[in-house]
Amino acid sequence: MDALEPELDTTPDGLNNQGVYIYHPSKSSKAHGDRPSKRRKVERVESDQESCPFVPLLNGHEDATSVELRYRNYEHLWSAQDAKIQVSVVLSMGNWLGLIMLQKILGDVDSEVLDSVSKFVRETSPETYNGCVPAALVTVGSNVSSLSRLLTRLNDRLTTTGEGGVVVLESGDAPNLKTTLKNIIRAAITNTEGNDGYQRSLNDRDGPRLLGYDLDLLSDYVEKKGVSDLVLALRDSEAFDPSLLTDLISLLSSWLDRIPFTLLLGISTSVELFEGRLPRSTISLIKGKYFELHEASNCVDHMYEALQAGGDAKFWIGRNITGTLFERSSDFFQSPEGFVRMIKYAYMSHFFANPLSLLLADELPADLPHDKLCEAIRNLPSFRKFCEDLLDSGSPKQVHQLLEDDEFLFHESLQHLRMGQQRMRDIFQSVKAIHRCLQSPNISKKSSVSDLSVLALAGELSNSSIVEDIFSTVKALDSDNLQDFFAILPQSVTGDSKFQEVQDDLSGLLQTYQDAVPLRSEYDHRHSVVKTTVVQQRVKLSKGKAKLPKQDIEYTKIVDRVQSLLESYLAEILVKPQDLFLHEVFLFDMRNPLKETFGPRPRFAVERALSNPFDYLISTSEDTGTRISTKQPATAILYQLYLESGALVNVHDLWSAFYAVFESHGGNNCDEQMVMALFYRALSELKAFGMVKGSRRNIDHVAKSAWIGL
Amino acid sequence: MVYMLPSEVSRSVNQQWPCRELQTKQLASLFSSGISSPSTLVVHGISATCKSTIVRAVLSTLQTPHAIVRSTECITGRHLLTKVLWATLEALGRQDEWEKFGKGRCEHVSTLAVLLADCLGSATGKGSEKFVLVLDGIDKQREAPQTLLSAVARLGEVIPCLSVILILSSTPRPLFLQAAAVPHISFPPYTRKEATTIILNSDPPHVDNLPSEISSKLYPHFVWTVYDALVGPTASTIPVFRSICEKLWPQFVSPITNGEAPPGGNNEWDFARLLVRNRALFRHQSEAALVHHIVSEDSTPSSGSVSKPSLTAASAPSPLPSLPYFPTLILTAAYLASHTPQRLDTIFFSKFSSSSLSARNKRAHHRRRLKVLSQAQAEDYAASQDPSTPSKKGKRQKTRITKTTLESAFATSSATTSAPGGGAGITGPSTILTARPFPLERLLAIYHAIDPNPPANPIRVAAVSDAIYAELATLRRLRLVVPAGSRAGLVSGASSSGNTSADAGEKWSVNVSGDWIGEMAKGIGVEVGEWLAGGLD
Repeated sequence: MDALEPELDTTPDGLNNQGVYIYHPSKSSKAHGDRPSKRRKVERVESDQESCPFVPLLNGHEDATSVELRYRNYEHLWSAQDAKIQVSVVLSMGNWLGLIMLQKILGDVDSEVLDSVSKFVRETSPETYNGCVPAALVTVGSNVSSLSRLLTRLNDRLTTTGEGGVVVLESGDAPNLKTTLKNIIRAAITNTEGNDGYQRSLNDRDGPRLLGYDLDLLSDYVEKKGVSDLVLALRDSEAFDPSLLTDLISLLSSWLDRIPFTLLLGISTSVELFEGRLPRSTISLIKGKYFELHEASNCVDHMYEALQAGGDAKFWIGRNITGTLFERSSDFFQSPEGFVRMIKYAYMSHFFANPLSLLLADELPADLPHDKLCEAIRNLPSFRKFCEDLLDSGSPKQVHQLLEDDEFLFHESLQHLRMGQQRMRDIFQSVKAIHRCLQSPNISKKSSVSDLSVLALAGELSNSSIVEDIFSTVKALDSDNLQDFFAILPQSVTGDSKFQEVQDDLSGLLQTYQDAVPLRSEYDHRHSVVKTTVVQQRVKLSKGKAKLPKQDIEYTKIVDRVQSLLESYLAEILVKPQDLFLHEVFLFDMRNPLKETFGPRPRFAVERALSNPFDYLISTSEDTGTRISTKQPATAILYQLYLESGALVNVHDLWSAFYAVFESHGGNNCDEQMVMALFYRALSELKAFGMVKGSRRNIDHVAKSAWIGL
Repeated sequence: MVYMLPSEVSRSVNQQWPCRELQTKQLASLFSSGISSPSTLVVHGISATCKSTIVRAVLSTLQTPHAIVRSTECITGRHLLTKVLWATLEALGRQDEWEKFGKGRCEHVSTLAVLLADCLGSATGKGSEKFVLVLDGIDKQREAPQTLLSAVARLGEVIPCLSVILILSSTPRPLFLQAAAVPHISFPPYTRKEATTIILNSDPPHVDNLPSEISSKLYPHFVWTVYDALVGPTASTIPVFRSICEKLWPQFVSPITNGEAPPGGNNEWDFARLLVRNRALFRHQSEAALVHHIVSEDSTPSSGSVSKPSLTAASAPSPLPSLPYFPTLILTAAYLASHTPQRLDTIFFSKFSSSSLSARNKRAHHRRRLKVLSQAQAEDYAASQDPSTPSKKGKRQKTRITKTTLESAFATSSATTSAPGGGAGITGPSTILTARPFPLERLLAIYHAIDPNPPANPIRVAAVSDAIYAELATLRRLRLVVPAGSRAGLVSGASSSGNTSADAGEKWSVNVSGDWIGEMAKGIGVEVGEWLAGGLD
């Protein structure tokens, strides 16, 4: 991929090279008296949509159709992948429409929780808990979005049966008790009645108009609709103000005889911690059960599998990115949505910056000008390697043709691209197969698809310990289990003629020794014998092989053949993706734009700009050493002086050092007033950055409050 | 109309709510229909002493027209007044005429007085010469105006036919209504005899295979024992008492139901033998039974009846919060920053010598010294015995732990956060020092010091502070780390939870107890005790 980068950098306009952008705010309101001109609604011109946000690559020589094609490619591919994500783990998206359409696919862990929660909601009443408010505690870990998914589905169930509904409350909706109650009442009524129904219930009451936070409104509604379960869900219980929560719970428990509340608390840390935050008297008002939603990582795994291991996948993200993605989702607070955004960004940057990505199109227009494109292909490292391999295998003529003939090269590369894509699909097919093998109960060590994928993408899977584990397990299988094992192997293995032979031999063997079934190989632990010998008053244990019956010896041979077959299969399939020709096109593996974009470092940038301003600004003088000079902005000078000081700085000392910088440069004709003004300005800018603050102890000192490099 | 004598009322009420004869009689005599009632009455007593229930029962038995308003259900003072008016109208059967009386709106106590006088005045003609207004829990009213209590107490004086009953759960101060000679009825907590009588009024909980005569013989003894052992000393309420009895009784008689042979060759289990057998039951489980948990351990009674020791494990579904790696490390750093005196930072966290043997020894020395000092109640004594006496003074000036250092470390007034977070209570030595606020820069520095997977080349390491800020925002949202100015509970109005705009100089504080963090940190390979004053020893 590195070969492409120079091309990116050398776009004719200097935009990509420019270190610093100067922000010119557009002219603000003309004068204070003037009213802003009235805006009219203008029909948006449709052509906006047509335009393509991508810019021409290949030194700007890329023609418009190619650029357009890349963009269409991206849109097409991503929309397909996005749909796949939604299907496979609709769970993760909390998407209402998707939910309705795809509810039947959800045979997932979530449904279990949903069932048990809705069972809990239906079955429990204050009576079962001795007058306490029934509460379902759902621990969600860092996977907050899955709870909202659960809640919408629960709400769906309850409203369709007319039993009640779910009121979702977030900490943002609850600044104080009045607003919280208002929100609860409004949400509960609008859930089934709509906004008009809420207004009606406020106004068309026989009796005085009630205050918006009066739970009488809700109790009227409950009575009228015959609601039997009203679930009040606090999505992020920890973020609520504890005192507010105390008030709310006491209020709920007081109303419990008229409104059938059930609390549902989403907890991100732990139940005990949550309990510890509230006063005992509040805790004694609620009672309930505990549910656990599966972790985000599981969800992320599903999504990754759907994206990468799909049977019709065309484009893959590589090892480095996979590593970064999973590191982020395991080490940081990250929602599955965030995960999808990162993948989308990776896709986007590939199509944005790689001119060759247009080759991924299903159909290329016949008149596509490809002279520049072929030149780009010839610059690929994988092309070089491909040619070297060809030379080694003794076909210099073909290499010659590849180098000379654009037409030939173009066709060859399209062909190889398809082949490469097929290889990638095979790799992920085998990854899935290995994953399935790992699910079998005999193997203790479990790895997720993502772990396996990382290994496979690095080309290390075929001789990893995971695969060795599988082989040793397979060798110890008895004949019954071996046949089960055959069933989970992919078609591409079992379809092989050699494999058929082995299978036939096995069934023949089983036929002959029907009464000795199951057969065991010599690797089975039942066939090893422990011998004890006493040597010089010490007991020695030695393992040996028991003598095998004849059928088992033959069975062992079959097992050995199976293993060698599998080994050769894996060795053939699990190639290193980076060895494939044109892997730059269908494999994206640049860690950098992704990491920089999703892990911004503003503080680092500010510190660098202040301590080395010429990293960003264009220096007028020739010597851009690290020394402080008057050419630098005043704030940067002051910051560097500040770095040299201790925790408390005398402002006068700082000033004299600052002045000395200018004095040494300007000599006698240095305007002290001017420098003083600069100094004040610089100091107040540092203050605005939060780097200094006034010290209370010494009135003429400032305290340092930020250290570089933390 | 049939007038009931106070004794009759008391008898009928007492059948359902025993042991409150005196209070019932007093109430009945004050409010029986024939005589004029006091304009204001105060009923007070701690919670779960049957105040509201008795008042309600007496009034309904006497068939006096009355309205009861629960203050806990009223959000504001205005809400309370409106509810009072509405409840009165409802009790008089005049809801339909609400438009006559201020259109059902009532914003001030004086308005209430006028409106109530109106509606009661026009009602008295129809036969009811007395109306009782019960304000339940009025001392706990939210957003109540200061004059509310005394104003409400005057209502009865202004309106002749109205009596107001104020039910308070706190003990009233003298003259708190600013009116003389207001009658008070006190509901004291139940005595031992009363409490056990109430429990024994109902039958013993049913247990399979237990003959009812044995059960009725043993149960009173058991209830007395439970009271003496658990309920009395902790001043628990009747419902708690009852639930403990119900929970422990089957286990208590389990030797009989399981058909075990009584010890000592006797044929029968008597109470003393059962008690001796069940000593452990009273010691461990019953204490747990006193503490209410949201998720109770008896959710799986069928399977868990035998497995006694695993009770705590079952009751705690996930004892540790499951945080990702990076936030855990930040939280640990925050905890250390909160619990280490800033003066000792150079000893505990300095990078220059952190791995050398001498540095470790030095740290261990300081840890031990801090611990000894913190344990001793007589701090003066400990400080005077401090080995770093004048001879070495010049050399050790920097790291000497003086009395003032410790005092500032123990300054409990500045931080009380480990108390609310401490579900398990203050146990380890690590929680002796309460959490103190720290600036963010210190957190960052400590983070670098304790990082278990330090970058290979510390010079060219990418700055992590920006990543830390992002995670800190989430930790703050979970209230694990909070800005020191607005510690848990104090933020009410401005607690928009996403608000993380902190000044650079603003201080933060950790909001969980040390036991959690210690264990969580172990999970990621950091031993908190090694860094902590008083840890590890």
